[in-house]
Amino acid sequence: MTVSALTRPGERDRLIVKLSEIDWVFVLVLSLIAGAGALMLFSMAGSSWMPWAAAHLGRFALLLLVMIVLAVVDLRVWFAIAYPLYGFGLLLLVAVEAVGDVRLGAQRWLSIGPFSFQPSEVMKLGIVLALARLYHGVPAQRARLSWWLFVPATMIALPVLLVAHQPDLGTAMLIALTGAAIVVLAGLSWRLIAIFSVTAIAAVVPMITFVLHDYQRERIFTFLNPESDPSGSGYHILQSMIALGSGGLLGKGYGLGSQSQLNFLPEKQTDFAFAALAEEFGFLGCISILALYAAVIFMALRTAYLSHSHFGRLAASGATATFTLYVLINGAMVMGLAPVVGVPMPLLSYGGTVMVTVMAGFGLVQSVRVHRYAEVTSGKGSFV
Amino acid sequence: MTQPAIFFEEVNERQGVFHRRAILLGAFAGLGIAGMGSRLAYLQLLEAQRYEKLATSNQFNFKLMPAPRGLIVDRNGAILAANRPNFRLLVHRDKDLDTEATLKHLADYVPLDEARQRRLLKDINAAPKRAPVQVIEDMSWEQFSAIKLRGPELPGVTADMGEVRVYPHGGAFAHVIGYVAKVNKEDVAEAGPNRDPIMLHPSFRVGKQGVEKALDVDLRGKPGAKKVEVDANGREVREDPEGDIPATPGAEVQLTLDVDVQNRALDVFGEESGGAVMMDCRTGDILCMASAPSFDANRFVRGMTGAEYRALTGYERKPLLDKCLSGLYPPGSTFKTMTALAILTAGVSPEERVSCGGGMHFGGRFFHCHKRGGHGSQNLNDAIKNSCDTYFYAMSLRVGPDRIAEAARAFGLGQTFDIGIPGQKKGIVPDREWKKRYFKKNKEMQPWWPGENLSYAIGQGYLQVNALQLAVMTARLANGQKALNPRLIRSVGGKELPRGSDVADLPFPREHIDRVRAGMAAVTEVGGTAWRASQLGLGDITMAGKTGTAQVRNYDSGGSRGKGGAWHLRDHGLFVAYAPIVEPRYALAVIVQHGMGGSTAAAPRAREIMRTALLKDPEIVARVLKPMPMPELTPDRELDIVPEVSNVERPA
Repeated sequence: MTVSALTRPGERDRLIVKLSEIDWVFVLVLSLIAGAGALMLFSMAGSSWMPWAAAHLGRFALLLLVMIVLAVVDLRVWFAIAYPLYGFGLLLLVAVEAVGDVRLGAQRWLSIGPFSFQPSEVMKLGIVLALARLYHGVPAQRARLSWWLFVPATMIALPVLLVAHQPDLGTAMLIALTGAAIVVLAGLSWRLIAIFSVTAIAAVVPMITFVLHDYQRERIFTFLNPESDPSGSGYHILQSMIALGSGGLLGKGYGLGSQSQLNFLPEKQTDFAFAALAEEFGFLGCISILALYAAVIFMALRTAYLSHSHFGRLAASGATATFTLYVLINGAMVMGLAPVVGVPMPLLSYGGTVMVTVMAGFGLVQSVRVHRYAEVTSGKGSFV
Repeated sequence: MTQPAIFFEEVNERQGVFHRRAILLGAFAGLGIAGMGSRLAYLQLLEAQRYEKLATSNQFNFKLMPAPRGLIVDRNGAILAANRPNFRLLVHRDKDLDTEATLKHLADYVPLDEARQRRLLKDINAAPKRAPVQVIEDMSWEQFSAIKLRGPELPGVTADMGEVRVYPHGGAFAHVIGYVAKVNKEDVAEAGPNRDPIMLHPSFRVGKQGVEKALDVDLRGKPGAKKVEVDANGREVREDPEGDIPATPGAEVQLTLDVDVQNRALDVFGEESGGAVMMDCRTGDILCMASAPSFDANRFVRGMTGAEYRALTGYERKPLLDKCLSGLYPPGSTFKTMTALAILTAGVSPEERVSCGGGMHFGGRFFHCHKRGGHGSQNLNDAIKNSCDTYFYAMSLRVGPDRIAEAARAFGLGQTFDIGIPGQKKGIVPDREWKKRYFKKNKEMQPWWPGENLSYAIGQGYLQVNALQLAVMTARLANGQKALNPRLIRSVGGKELPRGSDVADLPFPREHIDRVRAGMAAVTEVGGTAWRASQLGLGDITMAGKTGTAQVRNYDSGGSRGKGGAWHLRDHGLFVAYAPIVEPRYALAVIVQHGMGGSTAAAPRAREIMRTALLKDPEIVARVLKPMPMPELTPDRELDIVPEVSNVERPA
């Protein structure tokens, strides 16, 4: 039942065909990463399913289902909800400003009944869809260099500023970089890219001095010299590097990582899960996991590459960019190459919010794959 | 957007740009992941050893453990200071630990009444987190093992075995050996062995007095360390006995003291105050150095209450003062041995006689002899035997202070000896030079008045000595040849210290010393001052000696001769002795502070101490128990026993 461009119309809309079009190897790789995560969480808890490993696996299973459901959702539906979702996300961010819960000194959470969630996560998907939707009807020349570029720039800036104000620098940066990735993929002129990069780097120094909160500034300084204050704010980075390094080639063995088992490694089940894995499974274990991540990124990018619609391309590559940024930022942080920003390793770390974002993103990627031949138009006759 | 705004070429151009850029994004991601891989390779392959070390130092801590303190034994190996196991129960506070419930639970195994539980709870809550507080010590083995067994149900509870210094003989050796106690702030020094971190260990004890203090560093040994696995909060997770660093026990110190002699010496003092020092006349080893009354050194190890300490310091007879080394007394008539030597040195014939009529007029004063009726005509031997003051008064004027001081110094008075423990006082042996120095600011007092010779000759005046010096003096007299030095510490860690007999000879002719010794032997013969009080009851083995009664104040002001009244105004009783008279083995000095008479207070005590030492000496015992030879059976008419045959003939 392989589908091709020449497949009979209507055939592609059958559910069973759509399901067969999902990249099941991709699903397998995701499951392997999540399984490794559960394995680590089981070890972290002192060989116990509680409190993390079981929840991690259960959550992944549920979200895999959600991903498959999202994968069969018609790409035109994604197209149609792009702006509303973005608008809704913006509304939530404004709401969080007004009535959000303050947790750990930051106003990030919104409670609806018993549930609470971070609206900034909605925005991670919202910005991808909205920018893809925006660029879908834009000629190359305009996307390359024109005054029109202020539109996507504003669309990125609004949520970034709102999230940064919470303050959640990590997520704001992630949204900004994801948006920037789509703008670049859509064909931004290299000259502009260069100008923006230089401006951004030049802006970093005054940002650090004037805009950042004390704890954020401290994180950056200790990142630059973690051993300056090993028991204070440099502690996280140093302990993480000790966990990694002491793992050696083959690791200390499953359940035998002294850094993680004796709690020297902070946030071992979330932000520093990768370090815990590195300690117990060593260089070989790390390389294997990195290979799986590389495979996920490659397969997702390939899906974007093969999409016939510009919306599909940009949406899938945007979601991939988000995932890639998670991996690179967390990896750099754990290895002492970036300040501690609270970005977890997707699928490996314990934590629902990120997994929802990532799996929803992959639902979009798979939808792009399933509907790679679909005609997406913004004009009349569109799906909605 | 109501109309298609994009033309076909543009669609192609957009797609082409995206494809190129997507490949770039892929390359960027690949580069990032490769970068992570190389960073991992750097950390995990190249730097692995460094981080392994750091992880290990995170994971394991070494807890210092004090080494077992060295034993202190007597000359025969009997234990004078040892360590006994102390089973302690400690409780510490931690989050999510219910200390109150823990204490209640503990009360099932060890005696902990509710009042004590409340007090402990307060202590534990006041202590820093995870700092163990001692709940009970000296648990029985049963209690200890019961707690150990239930360890897992009792979080926050540790039962450990420490060591506590114990002095099995209580007070008998308290002044010589001293004691150990908790480390004070003053004990911790900036440099040297008292900078050692072990000083801060809660169960470490430091030597505070006597041998414990003087040889503290040798006795300490080298602390070991216990390897424990800890978590990030510093909680001990596991012990790793294989990684422990064993402690090196402290060196054993052997003293020259004899436990039986020392105990007997303290016994005979009873309630009296004073000191007794006994030396071996051949080697200089100190067999006994007892100061009475004493105190229980074990009390100091545990830590004393203020009331206990005040009771010790407030007592008139000063239990904490070492009367053998730190107590200075006028030697009284025991000093006449030295004066006699000086008299002989001055060329006076020992047979020259002085007539004693109960005293002597000199310089407008009458100097009494202790016998008011007078001794009659006295030569040197008589004068020592009767302790005739008049003889020595008269002779002192011919001898002068410098000769007396010379003899006294040659025999060990006025100096300290290197016996290894602190606290010795030098005392005073006066002469012309000394007086000039002593009254540096008071010119009028500087000259030596002839009248001062008189009191000097009978061991009064400025003269001050301690019991150890008197023992050395007697031992040198008894030895007759060598200027013996006292030795208290025989060996440290098996290494023997120099003997007291490896010294030069005395600068006095043997016949002079023998004259003095003959006088001392006469003291214990019929009619001598110590005749009754110094009979050993060991047959041929007899004791020679010299009594002394030293006045504490000037009697001229009236009142009795220090034989009654307030304790602190009474005379000191002294006795120096050696035995046996032939081939002497032991020399002894006994001072009974305010004991009133040398022959009544000091000599009987000296006799007891001497007997104990002699009866322990196999050589002496052999001499006492020597078989009486059978009389030769030569026919003797005077005998009752007549052969039967002759019996028949007798009527003829």
